[in-house]
Amino acid sequence: MTGDHELHTLAGPYVVDAVTPEERSSFAGHLADCAQCRDDVREMREATARLGMAAVVKPRPELKEQTIRAAMRTSQLAPVIDDSPPDGGSLLSPDARVVRRRWPTGRDRSIRLSVKLALAGAALVAAASTGIGLAADNMVEQLRHTQRQDHMIATVLNASDAVMLTARTTTGGTATVVMSHHEHRLVFTTHGLRPLPSGRAYELWLMGPAGDRPVGMLRLQADGMTAPTVVSGLRQGDAIGVTVEPASGSALPSSTVVVMIRQRA
Amino acid sequence: MTDGEATGDSEHVPSATSRGRGRLRLDDLLPAVALGDERAYEAVYDQASGWVLGAVRKVLRDPAQAEEVMQEVLLEVWRTASRFDPRQGSGVSWVMTMAHRRAVDRVRSERSHASREARAASAVIDYDDVIEAVEASLDRERVQRCLSSLTRLQRECVALAYYNGYTYREVAELLGVPSGTVKTRMRDGLIRLRDCLGVS
Repeated sequence: MTGDHELHTLAGPYVVDAVTPEERSSFAGHLADCAQCRDDVREMREATARLGMAAVVKPRPELKEQTIRAAMRTSQLAPVIDDSPPDGGSLLSPDARVVRRRWPTGRDRSIRLSVKLALAGAALVAAASTGIGLAADNMVEQLRHTQRQDHMIATVLNASDAVMLTARTTTGGTATVVMSHHEHRLVFTTHGLRPLPSGRAYELWLMGPAGDRPVGMLRLQADGMTAPTVVSGLRQGDAIGVTVEPASGSALPSSTVVVMIRQRA
Repeated sequence: MTDGEATGDSEHVPSATSRGRGRLRLDDLLPAVALGDERAYEAVYDQASGWVLGAVRKVLRDPAQAEEVMQEVLLEVWRTASRFDPRQGSGVSWVMTMAHRRAVDRVRSERSHASREARAASAVIDYDDVIEAVEASLDRERVQRCLSSLTRLQRECVALAYYNGYTYREVAELLGVPSGTVKTRMRDGLIRLRDCLGVS
């Protein structure tokens, strides 16, 4: 299509922000389908960053404390983007990597996922793309299978407020959670997490206003998945997170989370 | 280096509370910032605020506005640190992309008030001034050298867009060349710059 070719030529202007907002978002959409463009953009951005960095201007010292104080009063985005419009818009990376889907509710509970990739603009759909979708579908298959056997899981999956969220982890692979605040429970499963050296293991946490609570270790199966884990005691504002810990587990998270998923209020 | 892997292994994770944070790279600090680590954020500020202010000021010119935008950008880094993905590029590139975009958005909304004539008049700044005006930094000389390795048209296209915040159509009008040419020169120029700077 000539339209695609047109878009293709926007890579350079896009990187130096020499595009209109409309062009910016159509090119971001194009990035989803063009792996070569993503590589080009990434590399050109590294070079472009140096253009800016060549001109260091030290800020007045008092700005530092001001800025840090302001930050401490500012809430942070969880690594999940929901399907409401993004606040502030343009700053969300077109390469955002988290997909949210809504668990189907109403009559059709047959776990036929009506996939809802309606994210905040085409930009966000970009690199989230199909990889995650397929992985999530596999997990849905897995969940469906288990549903027949495990009443507790089924209760969560069928809760009227159940929501499914999927995110990539920083160690490769994806994590999927189906959570129901009504049931105070969630079901957590992963696919494709990188195996850890012996003596280390992935630990699961509820992280929220009530503090960080360890809720179990993840056990990687031979197929690279973790069996669905039911977590009880979910409270409003809780995120589910995974860290790398000693195999025996830790009382408090001691490393950076490899994934954290929270349902936006 | 194993950038993409660092966050998965606690041996490499910035325990922002116990290590020499000044030496950690943005890529290592940002995951800690995403967790609300104030000291990691302070280290990010120390590293990035000078770059951000420098870049933003090139575009905006006005020192007070530039300070404002710098603070906005640094706040945005705090707020959206969880969205940083090392597989999509370095932390430096993530922050500078944010900074430049914000500066350009600001300068354009100001220009939309100005007349077209005034716009053309203010465009007479050429990249030499810009480069001349920058303060000392390790990268400066290299960037300057690499910029001068571009063809004149490539350099003008890249500099007018990056340092002045013009769209490629505006650049085309200013230079009197077709906009399609400007698009490809921007791309070619950036690729050459990338090769010269040895970043990828």
